[in-house]
Amino acid sequence: MTGIVAPGFPEEAVRARARNGAAEVFPAEADYGRYAYGATGSEPGDLLDEARLVPPLFVPRRLEKLIELGREPTYTDVSLAVEIGGFHSALPVYLSAFGSTQLGTLGVAAAAQAARLGIPMVIGENVVPVNGYGRGSDMDTVESALLTRVRTYLEHAEHDLGGVVVQQSTEDADAEVWNLVYSDPAVEPLLASGRLGFELKVGQGAKPGLGGMTVLDRATAARLDDQYAVSDVFGADSPHRLRSSSPGTFTDEILRQQIRLMRNNFPRARVWVKLYPGRDVADAVRVAWAAGADAVTVDGAEGGTGWAPTAFLDQVGLPLGECLRRIGAAEHCLLASGRIWEGARAVKCLALGARAVGLGRAALVATDTDPEHGLVRLVDALAMEARLLVSALGKYSTGALGAEDVWFPSTPTEPKPGNQFREYSCPQ
Amino acid sequence: MRVQHRVLRAAREFLDGEGFTELLPPVIGPVTDPGVRGGKQLDVDYYGHRYKLMTSGILYKQASLVGFEKLFYIAPNVRAEPPATMSTGRHLAEFHQIDVEIAGASRTEACGVAERLLVHVVGRVLETAADELTALGRDPIVFTELLSEPFDVITHREAVDRLHRLQYPQSADAEIEWEGEELLSHKASRPFFITDYPKGSRGFYDRESRTEPGVLRNFDLIALGGYGELVSGSERESDYATIIARMRETGENPAKYKWYLDMVRDGIPASAGFGMGLERLTRFLTGLDSVWQVNAYPKVPGLVSP
Repeated sequence: MTGIVAPGFPEEAVRARARNGAAEVFPAEADYGRYAYGATGSEPGDLLDEARLVPPLFVPRRLEKLIELGREPTYTDVSLAVEIGGFHSALPVYLSAFGSTQLGTLGVAAAAQAARLGIPMVIGENVVPVNGYGRGSDMDTVESALLTRVRTYLEHAEHDLGGVVVQQSTEDADAEVWNLVYSDPAVEPLLASGRLGFELKVGQGAKPGLGGMTVLDRATAARLDDQYAVSDVFGADSPHRLRSSSPGTFTDEILRQQIRLMRNNFPRARVWVKLYPGRDVADAVRVAWAAGADAVTVDGAEGGTGWAPTAFLDQVGLPLGECLRRIGAAEHCLLASGRIWEGARAVKCLALGARAVGLGRAALVATDTDPEHGLVRLVDALAMEARLLVSALGKYSTGALGAEDVWFPSTPTEPKPGNQFREYSCPQ
Repeated sequence: MRVQHRVLRAAREFLDGEGFTELLPPVIGPVTDPGVRGGKQLDVDYYGHRYKLMTSGILYKQASLVGFEKLFYIAPNVRAEPPATMSTGRHLAEFHQIDVEIAGASRTEACGVAERLLVHVVGRVLETAADELTALGRDPIVFTELLSEPFDVITHREAVDRLHRLQYPQSADAEIEWEGEELLSHKASRPFFITDYPKGSRGFYDRESRTEPGVLRNFDLIALGGYGELVSGSERESDYATIIARMRETGENPAKYKWYLDMVRDGIPASAGFGMGLERLTRFLTGLDSVWQVNAYPKVPGLVSP
């Protein structure tokens, strides 16, 4: 382990899953018959944590499945395979961007595991400007972080599953990340199999309205001084300086045209857009879809990050649950991220309209726990839970989930009149 | 090479006759034309600053209008095009443009110059390089309609409709794809203009229509016979605030265009202009299979060559 800590995040539970996989979905074997389990407390004010999944008693879709199978269906009959932003994915899960902050071996280890899982992977926006690309003037130095991850992913991907999505944000336009990647022969296998995507990063959940922020040592900061705002917030004696990006200026027309230009310039790549949880997120999602985005990610205010002002972490931006409620029924591919690590929160997001959920901090902590298998085990556990939950809701694919599967305690329920299930009533 | 020499002589003769001044283009600069699809810019370490090899001379053409109202470059340009363009027969990573700009001109005037330039060059090459064309097996009869009739003009919308009728899945709000362009080019018996490309398909300097938002006042000139695009041009945006907004729409960071924006803020003339691909024009005249055959030291995208 590298000593990564994730305050405010259920780090120990994630590490336990990274070690023990789906066994952690259930109480400890040794406790069977001894412990009485009940609900445990959750974060106050998190709409998704407050919400409950509410299975119905009457399950017509289970009847359909029963007829199809000729036997009673179980959770093992739930299909989790899904199309995510133009890629075939084994699960409704993708690996969110880590960015330049948590690179080193973890990004590469996570890439290998995401490939084995058959799920898409996003590579963070400032990897190239901060870590370099490993071509051109620095050709003789080590292979870049970005290319290493791409190569690792390709080596471990067994089928035509998953895909690699490379982010770029406003200031990274200087580094021309997308042009570099698109014309690189090393990336051709991804293009040829339709598994390369580009993600326009409008912002992230942890710091809505701010651009990227990273803490750099003085030497790196000096190198990036003409490209980013770099300041001495830690004091003149500190070995570190703060690098801040601009959030970029967006209007509906600017967002629309940027997406169209991506489609125009990179016709063989999928186009993803990542939005921060702004109050007009429902409008922005629909502008992006209308302009042709293959997927739009909403990163809730619970989303993790390398570094952000505490005021933003605690008091700024809409929680993921509220974003999903504002967006409503999704006409195209919607992706959700923000403090997701287990199946229940994931299934709530899927029921509220998301096609798939992103693992950020959870993937980082799991990979840190066990670089070989931690992420695979964590996702196995999530998938097991998701199958249990979806089947309990009387459904057998994630696409069948709907808002009716989720109950919010803060939303009063209108009493339903009379016997609305007359068609199932017993004959007189 | 001999045909290309005749092309250059004829182009200079024509443009000189129309009152244009030939200027020499810069080779490197802090920024260059970003309006190319998928093509990478190549960096140069310039005393510790990252400079670019010119992908086109557009920014410098606009700057030079302050001193010369009608100007042209024979400009070398470098674009690391995606390896997928290796087999189009129309892409070189290093190529040349006859790059023309006219202060105060409309799109119609710029199209007129491009049409007359092409007709003049083709006529001169037929007169002066007939033996070379015969040796290459190029029958002059293919140029008959080009020399005798005005070029057609269709809009991007009409081009998309035509491609849909040909069962080609062309997006209505993107650049016409290489294969689609070639298909239309094969159907034509003389060159034709495609106008009104949608915003989102070209660089920030192509002016947006004031009466039809989302439509650019630009054009391509497409050759007959499957040779595809020879010329790309437009009316240029010269308003500072509009250029900044358009830079954001094209995902550019305005900060890196400081010298250009400072100049635009002080005022540059409105203009229209175009670039005519020299290797593409020579290939069209000679009827060869690919542009690399008309370049002595061809850099085919994705192939490492001298």
